[in-house]
Amino acid sequence: MLFIITRSSNRLPFINYLFAMRKKIFLSGIFIFFCLVHSFAQQKTITGKVTNASTGQGIVSATITVSGSKEATQTDQEGKFSISVPSTAQSLVITFVGFETQTVPISNQNEISVSLQLSNSKLNEVVVVGYGTQKRKDLTGAVSSISASQIEKVPVTTLDQAMQGRSPGVQVTNNDGAPGGGVQVQIRGVGSLGNNDPLYVVDGYPISGGINTINPDDIATIDILKDASATAIYGNRASNGVVIITTKRGKKNGVQVSVDANAASQSKPKMYDVLDAKEFGALAYAHAAIDGYTALPNWANADTLHEANWQDAVYQAGLRQNYNVALRGGSEKVQSAFSIGYFDQKGVVLGSDFKRFNLSANLDYDAYKWLKSSSSFKYTRGNSKVPFGTGGQGASAGVGYLSKLPPTLDGGNLLTSEIKDGLGNYGFFNPNNQAVRNWGNGPVYSIETQDQKNLTNYFLGSTSLEATILPGLRVKTNFGVNTNDYSGYYFTPSDTRALDQYGTGTQTTLNFYSQSANNTFEWLWENTIAYTKTFGDHSIDFVGGVSAQENTFRQIGAQGNNLPSDQLRDLSSLPSLSNYYGNQQTISLQSQFGRLNYSFKDRYLVTGTVRRDGSSRFAPGHQYGVFPSGSVAWRAKKESFLENVNAISDLKFRASYGQIGNQFNAGTFQYLAQYSSGPGAANAANNGYPFNKVYQPGLVLAQLPNPNLKWETSDQTDIGVDAAFFNGNLTVTVDYYDKKSRDFLLNIPVPAQTGFTSAFRNVGSIDNSGLEFNVNYGKSTSKDFHYNVGLNVTTVKNKLLSLATGQSYINNLGDLGFSSTGTNNWVVYSRSYVGGPVGEFYGYKSAGIFQSQKEIDELNAIAVNKYGEGSAYQTTSGPAKSAVPGDRKYVDINGDNRITPDDQTSIGSPIPKFYGGLTFDATYKAFDFSVFFYGVSGNKILNYQERTLESFGSSTGSVGIENIGQEYYDNAWTPDNKSERYAKIDANEFNTNTRPSDVYVEDGSYLRLKNLSIGYTIPAASLSKLNITKVRVYFTGQNLFTLTKYTGLDPEIGIPLDVNGNRLPTASGVDVGTYPSSKFYTLGLNVTF
Amino acid sequence: MKNIKIIYLVILGGLLFALGCSKGFLDQKDTSHISQDALFHTPQDGISLVNAIYDGFQHDNQSFVLKSLWYNANYTSQDYFNWGADVSYNTYLFPTDFGSLGAFWNLSYQGIARANSAIPIIAQMRANNVIDQKLADFLTGQTYFLRGVYYYYLACTFGGVPLELKTVTDDGLHPRTTQDSVFMSVASDMTTAASLLPWPQDLAPADLGRATKGAALGYLGSAQMWLKQYSDAVATFNQLIPHYTLLPDYMSIQEYNNQNSAESIFELQFSLPGGATPDWSYNNNEVTWMSSFMWPWETSNFGYTYCNKLLYTSFEPGDKRKAATIVGPGDTLASPGIVAIGGIKAYPQVIAGFNGKLSLPASHFTGTDGKIMNTCGKASDPWLGDQPGQLRSGYYGTKFWRDPNVSGNTPSPADGITHIFGDQDVVMLRLGEILLSKAEAQSKSGDQPGAMATLQLVRDRAWGGTAPTSPYGPDFMQIMLQEYRHELSGEMSLWYDLRRTGLQVDYIKNTFGLTIPAGHDLLPIPASAIATNPTLQQNPNY
Repeated sequence: MLFIITRSSNRLPFINYLFAMRKKIFLSGIFIFFCLVHSFAQQKTITGKVTNASTGQGIVSATITVSGSKEATQTDQEGKFSISVPSTAQSLVITFVGFETQTVPISNQNEISVSLQLSNSKLNEVVVVGYGTQKRKDLTGAVSSISASQIEKVPVTTLDQAMQGRSPGVQVTNNDGAPGGGVQVQIRGVGSLGNNDPLYVVDGYPISGGINTINPDDIATIDILKDASATAIYGNRASNGVVIITTKRGKKNGVQVSVDANAASQSKPKMYDVLDAKEFGALAYAHAAIDGYTALPNWANADTLHEANWQDAVYQAGLRQNYNVALRGGSEKVQSAFSIGYFDQKGVVLGSDFKRFNLSANLDYDAYKWLKSSSSFKYTRGNSKVPFGTGGQGASAGVGYLSKLPPTLDGGNLLTSEIKDGLGNYGFFNPNNQAVRNWGNGPVYSIETQDQKNLTNYFLGSTSLEATILPGLRVKTNFGVNTNDYSGYYFTPSDTRALDQYGTGTQTTLNFYSQSANNTFEWLWENTIAYTKTFGDHSIDFVGGVSAQENTFRQIGAQGNNLPSDQLRDLSSLPSLSNYYGNQQTISLQSQFGRLNYSFKDRYLVTGTVRRDGSSRFAPGHQYGVFPSGSVAWRAKKESFLENVNAISDLKFRASYGQIGNQFNAGTFQYLAQYSSGPGAANAANNGYPFNKVYQPGLVLAQLPNPNLKWETSDQTDIGVDAAFFNGNLTVTVDYYDKKSRDFLLNIPVPAQTGFTSAFRNVGSIDNSGLEFNVNYGKSTSKDFHYNVGLNVTTVKNKLLSLATGQSYINNLGDLGFSSTGTNNWVVYSRSYVGGPVGEFYGYKSAGIFQSQKEIDELNAIAVNKYGEGSAYQTTSGPAKSAVPGDRKYVDINGDNRITPDDQTSIGSPIPKFYGGLTFDATYKAFDFSVFFYGVSGNKILNYQERTLESFGSSTGSVGIENIGQEYYDNAWTPDNKSERYAKIDANEFNTNTRPSDVYVEDGSYLRLKNLSIGYTIPAASLSKLNITKVRVYFTGQNLFTLTKYTGLDPEIGIPLDVNGNRLPTASGVDVGTYPSSKFYTLGLNVTF
Repeated sequence: MKNIKIIYLVILGGLLFALGCSKGFLDQKDTSHISQDALFHTPQDGISLVNAIYDGFQHDNQSFVLKSLWYNANYTSQDYFNWGADVSYNTYLFPTDFGSLGAFWNLSYQGIARANSAIPIIAQMRANNVIDQKLADFLTGQTYFLRGVYYYYLACTFGGVPLELKTVTDDGLHPRTTQDSVFMSVASDMTTAASLLPWPQDLAPADLGRATKGAALGYLGSAQMWLKQYSDAVATFNQLIPHYTLLPDYMSIQEYNNQNSAESIFELQFSLPGGATPDWSYNNNEVTWMSSFMWPWETSNFGYTYCNKLLYTSFEPGDKRKAATIVGPGDTLASPGIVAIGGIKAYPQVIAGFNGKLSLPASHFTGTDGKIMNTCGKASDPWLGDQPGQLRSGYYGTKFWRDPNVSGNTPSPADGITHIFGDQDVVMLRLGEILLSKAEAQSKSGDQPGAMATLQLVRDRAWGGTAPTSPYGPDFMQIMLQEYRHELSGEMSLWYDLRRTGLQVDYIKNTFGLTIPAGHDLLPIPASAIATNPTLQQNPNY
């Protein structure tokens, strides 16, 4: 059953001071209130309606004041009002936030209709910048904002998803479709070879780590600070940009209850078309003779094989539910916002689940005119379960390998040949790695028998006290804490497969238990002083302060095999522990900062910002850095020559320059010479050695010291223009940015002669430059129809400028766990050259398929002539020592007449030329409609999954025979089918036809309909008796279609996790078979009281 | 009200000031590592520092000792082949990104750097009286010895390499030196080590496996051979020979029950802690994969190394080294340790095959007597793995088929687990090799009768009595090539000694009809090393 949703941001009435004098609030079951306005002995009552000139709809809560008096009222839910007017009154003044104020003369009429024009609301929009707010018109830096109403249009799991396509310069990629899974946010390109995450600031608190604990429903605005002018106030944490999140707060003198519920079904994802049991069995049997391996006897009768469709067994339809209840409101002195939220997503991969429970409370208290406090508390409890891995987690883990699992289990478990039979027996591949690998326990067995828990408790709380000492002079102290507790375990049972399969032994797998917990506690204390003053044509706005923040991380965990019973979840019951650990580390940050805004005649604006940051991540004496920025803006519209040009509503030019830092890639104490005795004898990483068969510990220098280690630095330039035309119907923002990042804190390969293969150094520089466009056009064509079109596009030019001395390139830093087939190890798949983009794919260029022996012989003859007997154009490990017809032919890049590793070259960049979002919103009477497209263009994908589909496995090296794609099977080269694209099917892989090459590099451009929603708001009149302000029902479809040439399942590929759990930009755009995204269909209901 | 505001302002101002100036707030302590200041106050710290230099040889149970040193010593000789992917030895066309080259390079320099850092620390500990002179000498001697050993194998494999004799404090972009310079450095280190280390007889039992004066002299003499200082080499060898014994039975040299024997001069040590399960899950670098890696698929379930049949047929009649080196169809295993567990028929994989549990027919595991097979295949149905007609020859090396605790990748019926790894030590240098080297050195320094006499010691032991004259004469070096081959085959030094003679290219051509591409008797400098240090010149023709 699907029902519900939407949260409303309908503003409830704002009550002016007059209202405050005389008011009664009547609450009856559901919240509702009436206003009773004191009446004078007046001559007449004027009634009327205030409408939005753009939409024609009534404006709720517009204020109508009688000029020259204190008499005032507000419009009702339909925009109607009624006011008593003294006979002496000359005019009515109608005001509403975001609209031009209108004055209507009073003559004899008793009824007045007023149509308010939108003021250039963008200009007066309040933007949250670090340690303060500014009006958009006064901004000198590059800041994009996303409002709650935009977020609400797309049902999302996590906040970062809500940012996708909404703002130029911000590239958001879902790394995988797992529930609660990783999202990668990059602001203005790859600015580091390590971590590229922006800094998140939630209600003034700069948090460490991502933001997926925050309930998207609680968000009021997201402000994204992009250029140095905007971010410098956050110093050495800001070079990847700053995302400021402001949560919804209670409004004065009003109350709003909103209930949102929605439920979505997620379709089963697309699957690879692979061979079924019959085709596979026949192929594997036939090739045994050709390729020289022993087939399983069962394969001889392929027709009798049981089908094992792994993808079908592992993928399922998903279900997502989301419920939120919020109460927000307050009086003159106290405003509060409370909300609870519950989110539950069953993913499209068997066993995957993500649950989240949110509590939030915001409290504002205006104790005196000069003293107020503001508090914000967020609690989240989450439980995520991804028993099959999240995908995008290295090629050997998770859904990536489903397509290569042989589609038959015959010859394995003696009890059943099905994936799982009616009696609960699981099928297994044949034992002893014969012909096929045993593939562990198989995915379904593994998912269904394991037990895991991953609980997190997250709390973020901050409270501030602000005093206005003198007019314009404010001091504020802000204290906050942020804690995150994780506890979890992972258990796999023992099994007696040995008996079933080998007829020998008692068990092949002991049970396994691992338990771990970690805790982060962080506190922040900031004190600021702010001064605002206008004198004559000059106005200044200053904020300065000091900040201290300390973060302590503790962890403990252990694991082991052979609990006495599968029921136990108890470390102390393990006979011995391995990989046990327990440690803590503390990082502290101490800073001073200041920002001065100066404006002259409201048209020449200057901002200067500086922050001095000290971080314990660096060696004493090297801890402090200073990060300055400056910017100017010119509001040309305010000049006399433009003031009367009506077509141009606003025009502003901006320019900024500054330096900011990034300390996040520095671990703790990486500057120190650390000696380590390493783990004990049983651990592979030990440093000791046995004498006389007794292990003795060793002691080694664990890392090269580097006291000069420092933060990464970005020099950023931004030139922008903001313009608005036709009464603000059309707004345009264009920015040129150039961000030069340098001194990457990188564990880079160093000459092994140092004794280390890598060391932490500050090396290299990268330049990201490009243009950002944001265009928005909104108009009403009639009273009932209003539409708005928004487009944002960002271009990216990424260039690696330098690396360590003498280094002209750097290979991929992440090991994605690719499987070796023959000599084909896929260790290097990207190589970033100085002068080229970061993470450019690296491999051979294919020249099609060798079609004849003659073609090969001619090439070999040249090689023999040059290099002697036994040489070949393409040497292989096979008996022929040379490629044979049907093998892939590679291009001799260096022209030495043979293929060697030197013939590898750059084969495509994962960085898009541009990306952007397109939105179209419209309302027609009670209906609303919204579509949102997101696209990227010009990027390449290294389709590792295609390699898998074209790899019949290998009979050498115990890899075993693997399933292949139908397309490959149907078109593979044979003497009768001389494909130019697909090599012959060959279990030996002598020629390593599946080595990294441009065959697997594809255009990754796509345009995706991310979201389409249709809503219907029940007319207020029919609800008023129920005291309900608004009821909206809606339907949303996500990922409904994608235009792409990419042949894999999903072109939205971020950075896969490497085997160490890092996402490094040199491994970007590699399709290792991620948890695929699929269509969501959501039905929702939103009720506001 | 105004006063309150002022008080507030003063308090806040104070706080601001306090916060802005709190000294020491950024001082955090590393509680997960040890700093140098806290170290080296006890003798054990110094001992541990030296222990860690030995650790490089054991890396991850295969990278160094098996896939670097053993591969390079044997695959290159064409008497052994890899059934898996590591087949570039067959053609000497080594890809420069071949994984084990990089591992060899990196682990060697890791050991060298550990040695370089230990030398001054040990000296400081002595100066601070933390350790006495005897311990200081013992530790320093081991340190020089180990640095020399790492350089010795680097030079044997790659030729000249960068010579780092102090902790590298700059960016490490140092070029290669010549092969001779490296061996001179080895000789220098070994001379220093020999002056500081005790003879094996004087070693405390708990120190069994540590470097000795004999080991240092052994590598010193070998380095002198490379430097063509043959008379010096003879003198060096003569110093150590009296301290070691040629075991009477060649078979016993590599036996599990005979580790650290009286013939062994330097031996890498391994151990398996009690209760540990040596299966895939036990990723421990104190054990090795030397044993089951080299068995046939029929016993191990993988089988990565097999022999050239030419090795089998090359032994002279009566040479007892054959049975201790190679096994073929119809042969039983001759190792007393393996015979004691029942021989081939005792392996779980063979039992499973005989019981029809494997893909190959039971007959493949059935002997000519109709019982479970106890030989390495039959002549009519050799053991070629589960891929008949492919690659494998049916002949397998037995130098490392000695550990009775290893049973391959099939769960043992006894405990249900697989015993893949073993803890048998790996003999790097033994008296037999020293005597052969001495014979070559004597010959090259003009003492032909002495050379023949020394050689005869080795041959007599091989025959278990009096050996006939080698049929490979009269050219003494042709005799030597065959003796190196038959004495050291499947151990840790064959190719290095062959290359040292300078006759390796002809030897390969004459014996196997294979032409080594020019310069490819040296392995290429790993691509990963050149990538991080562009000053390194690649070997010619790579």
